[in-house]
Amino acid sequence: MSRDVAIPATTPAAAGTPPTTRPRSPHGRRQARAGWVFTAPALLLVLLFVGLPVVMAVWVSVSGWRGRGSPFASGVPFVGLDNYRTLLAGGGLATQDLGTALRNNSWYVVLVVPLQTVVALLLAVAVNRRTLRGRGFFRTAFYFPSVTSSVAIVVVFLFLFSASGAVNQVIGVLGIDGPNWFADPRGVLHVLLGGLGGGEAPGALAEHGFIGISWWEWLAGPSVAMSALIMLAVFTTSGTFMLLFLAGLQNISAEVEEAALVDGASSFQRLRYVTVPMLRPVLFTVLTLGLVGTWQVFDQIYAGTQGGPAKTTITPAYLSYTSSFVDQRWGQGAAIAFILFAIIVVLTLVQRAVLRGDRT
Amino acid sequence: MVLHHSPARRRTRAAVIAAATTLGLLLAGCGGSGFDDTGGAASPDGGSGAKELQVLIGSSGQAETTAVTQAAQAWGTSAGTEVSVTAASDLNQQLSQGFASSQPPDVFYVGSDVVASYAANGSLAAYGADLPGSDDFYPNLRSAFTVDGTFYCAPKDFSTLALIVDEKAWTAAGLTDADVPTTWDQLATVAGRLTSGDRTGLVTSSEYQRLGAFMAEAGGSLVTDGKATADSAQNVEALRYVKSLLSAGSMKFAADVGAGDGTEALGTGKAAMTIEGNWAVGGIASSYPDLQYRVLELPAGPAGKGTLSFTNCWGIAADSKAQDQAEALVASLTSTDQQLAFTEAFGVMPSVASAADGFRQQFPAQAAFLAGADYAKTVPNEAGVSDVVKDLNAQLEGLAAGDPAEILGSTQTNLEAALKG
Amino acid sequence: MSRTAPDTVARSAPARRPARRLPVGGLVAYAVLVVLAVVYVFPFLIQVANAFKTDGDATADPLDLLPLPGTTAAFTTLFTQLDFPRAAMNSAVVAVAVTLGRVFFDCLAGYALARLPFRGRGLVFAGFVAVIAVPPVVLLIPKFLVLNQLGIYDSYAGMIVPLMADAGGVFIMKSFFESVPRSVEEASYLDGAGTFRTFWSIVLPMARPAVVTITILSFQASWNELSHFVVSRSSPDLNTLTTLVATLTSGGAFGQANQYPLKLAAAALMTIPVAVLFFVFQRQVMAGTEGAVKE
Repeated sequence: MSRDVAIPATTPAAAGTPPTTRPRSPHGRRQARAGWVFTAPALLLVLLFVGLPVVMAVWVSVSGWRGRGSPFASGVPFVGLDNYRTLLAGGGLATQDLGTALRNNSWYVVLVVPLQTVVALLLAVAVNRRTLRGRGFFRTAFYFPSVTSSVAIVVVFLFLFSASGAVNQVIGVLGIDGPNWFADPRGVLHVLLGGLGGGEAPGALAEHGFIGISWWEWLAGPSVAMSALIMLAVFTTSGTFMLLFLAGLQNISAEVEEAALVDGASSFQRLRYVTVPMLRPVLFTVLTLGLVGTWQVFDQIYAGTQGGPAKTTITPAYLSYTSSFVDQRWGQGAAIAFILFAIIVVLTLVQRAVLRGDRT
Repeated sequence: MVLHHSPARRRTRAAVIAAATTLGLLLAGCGGSGFDDTGGAASPDGGSGAKELQVLIGSSGQAETTAVTQAAQAWGTSAGTEVSVTAASDLNQQLSQGFASSQPPDVFYVGSDVVASYAANGSLAAYGADLPGSDDFYPNLRSAFTVDGTFYCAPKDFSTLALIVDEKAWTAAGLTDADVPTTWDQLATVAGRLTSGDRTGLVTSSEYQRLGAFMAEAGGSLVTDGKATADSAQNVEALRYVKSLLSAGSMKFAADVGAGDGTEALGTGKAAMTIEGNWAVGGIASSYPDLQYRVLELPAGPAGKGTLSFTNCWGIAADSKAQDQAEALVASLTSTDQQLAFTEAFGVMPSVASAADGFRQQFPAQAAFLAGADYAKTVPNEAGVSDVVKDLNAQLEGLAAGDPAEILGSTQTNLEAALKG
Repeated sequence: MSRTAPDTVARSAPARRPARRLPVGGLVAYAVLVVLAVVYVFPFLIQVANAFKTDGDATADPLDLLPLPGTTAAFTTLFTQLDFPRAAMNSAVVAVAVTLGRVFFDCLAGYALARLPFRGRGLVFAGFVAVIAVPPVVLLIPKFLVLNQLGIYDSYAGMIVPLMADAGGVFIMKSFFESVPRSVEEASYLDGAGTFRTFWSIVLPMARPAVVTITILSFQASWNELSHFVVSRSSPDLNTLTTLVATLTSGGAFGQANQYPLKLAAAALMTIPVAVLFFVFQRQVMAGTEGAVKE
């Protein structure tokens, strides 16, 4: 009995152990019944609003349902993988839009995940020092953006990054003529190349492509508008992840840190060779959550840019929504959702394999 | 994260299989009863005499919402029917959800760009030809709501694009009535002279719905007799002309001057001229009451005068349980007198020819909008074209640095695919 | 990697801080931290300040933090023309109902999974794990279809009930209940109390910190929720603050002109409840987030 007491709350082993078989006493039977009764509401909700929707979405994604009446009505045709084919290999507008959305979101993920992880880690290390004056204030300041709704933050960012907005006025002081952020569809890499005198698409890159858009467009980088959304993401998520790192840091004993200090390690060396390796499990969690979260950008697009300018902020999640609810192509919308699902699952598995392999 | 442990994983697989089975059963249950339920539950409501007509509008503002509500309720009182009018926050989305739930509003606005897709999935009732006096609608408006030869719904009202000019800026630049531009060259000159400091000569949204007017003036259009003609020489010429204005700096897109649309740019002094429809009149009156402006016909291009016209219709849902009442309501809302009343309230142009004289008398300053009705082209309404136009608009945002022929070339490809499907 | 940690630990000499290096480096680090804090706080100050400006002033001089004389025109518009109060009420009703439901069901299920041995417990647990792996965005379209089927589309029920499904909260409660000593319950059972009674009046009160945590997380999540309300309702009467403000920014009748003060005012007001909750329960929120994601 007392065995359970010793196991701390977060030990995964406790979660994984099978229920101990007990003698079938009346008390035990009563508890068994109570077990089902207690879990029933939560279980039912989850089946009804997660399990069932997934099954329905699978059907819609292979059906020709066009948005009138029930998708299970007798007249709705089964179209096999047509929706997926149109999206991935159709070569039409649907393919181009999906390619553009994947391009946009890939850049978003590639930039947001490392940035938010590094920023969160640095914030955590800084705020973790016991000698720091005003620790509480700093923690609050960095965490507060995570508490507020994404819609409210988008409103603020639209204002900050408007043509004559606060950001442009601040960088104007430094002599930089800021862009009209949310109206600027140019890819930042193209802009940089243009600044270096390049900027014309090399023939090979322009002529070949992947999912309906050319390699030149894939390599454009995030648009200026998307860059503003990337900053927004780092701004809102770094606080949450800072807390995760803080929890991890508290498990590193002060002795280890101080020993490294005595060894004459610089603060960077300490971070690189002591802190980060010991934070590995937290790092794994942060990267996984970051990866899963950044592939699902929706709120910021719905409330902020609606995919513009020039489609440079459409994301698969937003495209799935507009395909269904605005353009009446429900089958394609559901198919996009599953393509996104597959991407997330595959990338998470790859990431896990990489981080695991790294350890040995 | 618990999935790392292999015993748990084995059990997970079992659990997934079991869960899937349960779901299958659950789904079968729902599929059987759930659907009959919705059908069964809805009809008692409809049949029990609670005949309330639901009207969903995409309103331009409070004035329109109030006017439509009052007109609909006045009709309801005389017809003995309850009518409730709701202004949608996102009309297309709400209609989609209504169609999918088999409980759409009875009467609603339908843009000419979506009429074909709503018609294609059977959501729209085709009542247009049955309406008394349907010959009175302008022919090009009727064609905007005709899909495969069927006239679906009654045009609510319409507008064309015209040139709206800030009079103070005009005089300040030393321009007179003699300078009113009637050709592309003159427009370029005038726009150049009106550009100074923070004020740009001509500002408009970077979309086909505005720039398409130049295509019409050059004699081009996206679709001609059901065939894609996006990359025609006329259209290329039109966009080259727009690009030349952009390069000269005498024209800018609204987003590039930090404005939501041309009206806002004009009202806030960022533009001296804009190209807008007559909905701008109401917007200026409420947001920029001090602005003195003039409405001019758009200058003629190489192929003569041209503009675009925009229109919505009163759609009636195929799933509406009160089709007859809905038609009667629409007949009342589109009558000559009622349309003139709407004109009075929120400035739209009546969709029936019999109200033209009344409009001209009431709004002499807006004559240019009505004049456009004679030569306006409608936005193509074929299914799938609205997506192509959206994509074209996305490309037009980059027109200043882009190649008109290339932009129209990709639009042509998309359009051909859309018209085939 | 192994070359650093173990042997440095072995040699752990008496801690002697190299006090020399701290002042300069420490000062720079402190300055950087202060600048960062300003970057994080400034947007909110700008937001509040500009909510009290006229459209023109907000556009011309967004950095001015003291709008004198200020105007409350934006707030007046919100309350007289936009039905902000109704949206606020809807948000409150939904958030409170969702929170109550979630907390109750999470506690029940968490307790059962932690303590009640029943056949199929592993299966149920695995089910919850599988659910967590499904990205919410995938559910956008089908959730609308399910609500339709159930006949609760465009109703409070449709907005509330689906959000009560919360596998994450079940895990938090499960972990917590696992840390409660078993002896407590055994005494209760010996006294002849039933399972629910034992759970409700003996174990649950001990779980207060965890309950507070999931209460706050649930409230915050449902108050800030957008996408579910986009697909589960359409009538303006059922607007929540998130959908209302999203309408403001994405066009529509009031979104056409810039009208930044109006939007900023709305955004600022909708932040107040979660902000207050955050400041009152700061410790639990922070500790809770750490614990919640550690799962």
